[in-house]
Amino acid sequence: MLMKDDIITIFVPAAAEYVDLARLTLYGVASKMGFSFEEIEDMKVALSEACNNAVLHAYGDMPEGTTFSAPEEQPRVEIRFIKQADALSIVVKDDGSSFDAAAVARSAESLHGKAVHELEAGGLGLYLMQALMDQVEVSSGSGTQVMMTKRLTKSGEWA
Amino acid sequence: MKSPDKFYLRTENQEGRCTVYLNGELDLETASQMRAAMSTLVELSDRELVLNLRDLRYIDSTGIGILVSVVRARHAKNAPFLVEAIPPNIRKLFDMTGISPFLSGSSPSSY
Repeated sequence: MLMKDDIITIFVPAAAEYVDLARLTLYGVASKMGFSFEEIEDMKVALSEACNNAVLHAYGDMPEGTTFSAPEEQPRVEIRFIKQADALSIVVKDDGSSFDAAAVARSAESLHGKAVHELEAGGLGLYLMQALMDQVEVSSGSGTQVMMTKRLTKSGEWA
Repeated sequence: MKSPDKFYLRTENQEGRCTVYLNGELDLETASQMRAAMSTLVELSDRELVLNLRDLRYIDSTGIGILVSVVRARHAKNAPFLVEAIPPNIRKLFDMTGISPFLSGSSPSSY
């Protein structure tokens, strides 16, 4: 049977309260593909971190409490699940103020070997994404795009 | 979207010890609730501050970031702090990020 990639796309308002909706969607897509519970947990964390960043960027330049008269003006986040035969790629895209993605990717850092006064929370989100997924690419242009991939470890056929 | 019971915390005061039970999902959405509660609790330097995570189902880097702030604040006051009953999925993230040694109560004083 000839396999082609199936793509599932959702758009959610760029707000913290919708990040768990992205997690729920991921759960459905990944469990149908046969990922293990632990792999799905890993992807849930990685996806949430990417969504967090998108939500934070979306309003980066706007004063707190900014409201939009028309729903279509409201910043939103695009989440695309690309089902491949042996892997799942997740793309998270925002149209927020773009930033130097490459510099941010280099700043991904854990707390290992640090003293208490050196502990910093910045960079942990991206560090987790890189640690939990097989591949993570961050690019920026108009907005920021994160593409991360997890390979299916089980061998054999797909449903 | 927001369900009222997505995240809540309950504080129990015993002699010399204040235990905070976290329940639900600690993420970007619920972080402000946690930050607000912690801002007063970290000041209690006359007792041990304990976070019990038995019923915490989910944490992200925002939540871990709050723990980092608590570790730093307690350390600055020379006040005891520890995290107990850490579920395996959360333990994995603590180990991965490297925060685990700072949550065990015996502060890594070699640093």
